[in-house]
Amino acid sequence: MRTNRLVRVLSFATLAGLAFAVAAIAAEPPVVLQDPAGDDNGPGTYAYPNNEVYKRGSFDLRKVEIIDKDTTVEFRVTLGATIEDPWDSKSWDGNGFSLQFVQIYIDIDHQKGSGYTGVLPGLGTAKFADDEAWDKVVLLSPQGRTRLSAEVRGKAGNMRGGVVLPSTTRANGKTLVASVKKSELGTPSKTWGYQVIVQSNEGFPDKGDLLTRKVNETKGDHRFGGGSDYDCDPQVLDILAGQAKGEKSEAADQHKTLAWSCAGEKPGKVAHLPMIYAAPAAP
Amino acid sequence: MLERRPRRLPLTLRGRSLAVLAVLGTGLTIAATAGADLGRFEIDARIYTKHLYQNDDSQGVLMLGNPYPGFVDDISGNNGVATELELAIRGKVSEFVEAGARIASRFGERWHDWWESGNAFYGSDSINTSGESVGMNRASYLKLRGTYLQAALDIPGVTFVRVGASDFSMFNPWTIGKVRYIDRDNGRGYFVGGRFGEEDQVQYQIGAIALPKLYVGPWWSTGVGDPALDNAFWSRDWAYAGTLRWRASDTLQLRLVADFTQDLEIDRADPDAQGSLNANCQDLLGNPIPGCAPDQAVDLLTRYASVNATLDVEADLSDTVRLTGLVGLSGQRMDRALTSNAVRDNQGMSPIVYDDTQDVAGTLRLSANDPFENGFSLQAEYFNIGADWNAIFGARREADVLLTEGFVGNGGQLPTLNLANEFVDFDDDWVESCIGWHGGTGVLGYDRDNTRIKAEYTFIGYNTNRQNRDVDNKYPDFLHGDGFTDTALYNYVNVPDRGRDPRAVFHRDQYRRSHIVGVTGRQLFDVGRELEVEAKLRYIRDEDFRSTKTTQDDYAGDIAIARAQVAVPVVDGVRVGVYGQLDHWVEDNRVTSGNGYSDDVTDRLTIGTRVQVQYHGLKVGYVLEHVNKDLASERYTDLHWNVWRSKATIEAGW
Repeated sequence: MRTNRLVRVLSFATLAGLAFAVAAIAAEPPVVLQDPAGDDNGPGTYAYPNNEVYKRGSFDLRKVEIIDKDTTVEFRVTLGATIEDPWDSKSWDGNGFSLQFVQIYIDIDHQKGSGYTGVLPGLGTAKFADDEAWDKVVLLSPQGRTRLSAEVRGKAGNMRGGVVLPSTTRANGKTLVASVKKSELGTPSKTWGYQVIVQSNEGFPDKGDLLTRKVNETKGDHRFGGGSDYDCDPQVLDILAGQAKGEKSEAADQHKTLAWSCAGEKPGKVAHLPMIYAAPAAP
Repeated sequence: MLERRPRRLPLTLRGRSLAVLAVLGTGLTIAATAGADLGRFEIDARIYTKHLYQNDDSQGVLMLGNPYPGFVDDISGNNGVATELELAIRGKVSEFVEAGARIASRFGERWHDWWESGNAFYGSDSINTSGESVGMNRASYLKLRGTYLQAALDIPGVTFVRVGASDFSMFNPWTIGKVRYIDRDNGRGYFVGGRFGEEDQVQYQIGAIALPKLYVGPWWSTGVGDPALDNAFWSRDWAYAGTLRWRASDTLQLRLVADFTQDLEIDRADPDAQGSLNANCQDLLGNPIPGCAPDQAVDLLTRYASVNATLDVEADLSDTVRLTGLVGLSGQRMDRALTSNAVRDNQGMSPIVYDDTQDVAGTLRLSANDPFENGFSLQAEYFNIGADWNAIFGARREADVLLTEGFVGNGGQLPTLNLANEFVDFDDDWVESCIGWHGGTGVLGYDRDNTRIKAEYTFIGYNTNRQNRDVDNKYPDFLHGDGFTDTALYNYVNVPDRGRDPRAVFHRDQYRRSHIVGVTGRQLFDVGRELEVEAKLRYIRDEDFRSTKTTQDDYAGDIAIARAQVAVPVVDGVRVGVYGQLDHWVEDNRVTSGNGYSDDVTDRLTIGTRVQVQYHGLKVGYVLEHVNKDLASERYTDLHWNVWRSKATIEAGW
């Protein structure tokens, strides 16, 4: 009798284990995109502000994981330094970190003419190609949803419809973790394209900028340096480039991609941000 | 380069802004003579309004103002509405030079002050029927603040020089703390920063900082108001500080931070000094004093000096495991002839121990952030802060050096007697002094998907445990040192009994130990635009055997706190929440009533609602709460609080 019960328990456990394993195999594997270390300098010239809170590596994109989880999609963005909260975000209803602001642009349909080619205000002079226009952008911000949603509503203009705010955003060591409802984003597919832009959260942004920190010609206490004082430069510190495999050559790809110039006081060369597709588009 | 108009900085100067600039004529004149054009200006403006309400008869716009009864300010009170304006101006002088300032109205003029000019027509004892002249705080005058010039230098090893305002955030709470928000650009000094080494491995900042006349020194000042001095000399009182950061590798960083403060006073034995005791260089008998001769130079003496230094390390043991540690040294020296004894003469209210002291402190924290990628994290911290440690110029609030939530909750712990739990409203966090704390904290966290849970256990022993400590002449006891602190209904005069002053770490007889247990949870529910539910449970067992010669005075406190909050975004930019908190404190021998200690039981129920609105640059916040407190005490009968209060803030920046 005792033996029979043991057999039943073992059989049930085995079946449960098998079911779990089958389910795990059947689940879509996470999309993993990587970026080389030390390229958190935009086109190669950008420098961190003087203030001590901007620690080396704080804006250095290393890895992005997009994980399909039942009713949600989890975005994990790993940076080059432990993510800290020097400005006590809990006192302004924040998410437990202060400095970073990551925008994940997603091309869902990979259709020319479908989606947005511009970037959200505050990222300077940069755009996507027509055939790589984005459909959704997920914002990983230290700001609470009330502030973030108000900023989006007030500044994103016609791109507002493509903005997705995570249900939760948190810092975990060197990684930002955000959970997004599938009902707002859709179910990730191998054909989706991604671009991840690392910027810095600015609680008192310039008029029209969506919570982003300026890149100026000369760095200041809380402003990045190495860019332009005119509206010529892409105000981004790190992006995915090349094949997003983390190879060193991708740093050079990024520098080339983000190269800019001024024509007088107006933009000259405009940075074209690439989408990284996990799988090649159908012919 | 100088002729280029930087697009990052310019303001679109509309009529209103031009009018404002016209009012600021002097500043513009100076700018104009420097050759700058308006395109080099960046101007931010903000209007902030606060409306306080409480069902009492106090009038003002600040729940807790100046803590010193002798200097009653004229803005403290719970019923009033006031507005302030601030203009932050930054300008790019050239590619390498930047300048800035903030011009802000003094907060305190209430909407009812129609004609206030600040010019006192009547004596303070007279009834003022003019509607005018209650004081400069009420005149809403604009004050220049936060002026600075910063130059980026093309010198090897030197990155910048800054002259003027800083928030001191380059140092740390154990040395010179980041200035609290309301004083954020009052501190000024000279600063130099730079970096050198391969890949800028070494960074440094040094500074000379003008000591504030108030608070950084014995008698809460650098001499002003000290009865020991007839002519406080404060213009050459400075702090000198430096920070040196060495990034040994991508995973290891060390930082040295140190400061030295010096409060100088006039040597009245010098015949050249104002009010010299030896103006004629003759003694009482008319004989010449050897070595005394005027030379038109005044000798100075050091009234008070302090030094604080810390060495901290950050080591990333892996991508998820981090070790941080800090060791520190603190010391002070004073000239008793130039320093009155505030412990003795000011009812034990003193930001320093009245003695030459030195001590050490250290913390060590291990953090494992989701190491197994299953949502669980662990943090453990050991802390040991000497009883005679004090950071006289350290952080006063809005910082936190320990992992534990401690006794007062969200505000945090700071290693100074110079805490600032004043100039706050009922919804602001409190801080407490951790001088003398010795113990450890463990925090287990779970954070996955829509669930966040954190559990804490902390044990605190006390390096301040001692029998027959001299709290009459040496160690400040801050007058009220017993009983769990009621931060929700605190007042400075502590009537009737609101508990321990958070600065009160010294007692005549203490043999204390404390246990703190807490669990906090947050869950998001897919209801509406996502319903957020938070709950917190805390239990504190606080024991102090006080005198070891008797058991009659033993304190035992069982503090239980339960809090819950529900919040939901109603529409984009609008968030509404309700909260409730239940406190039940059972305290044996809470405080002495003159006839021995009494047992107290406190029950407090707080319910409230909180609304946040952000709409196209407009920010509105509103808190309404009801506090119902009962105190059953052997000293009082039927003490009851029935408090309704609210705070509304409306602000816009452009």
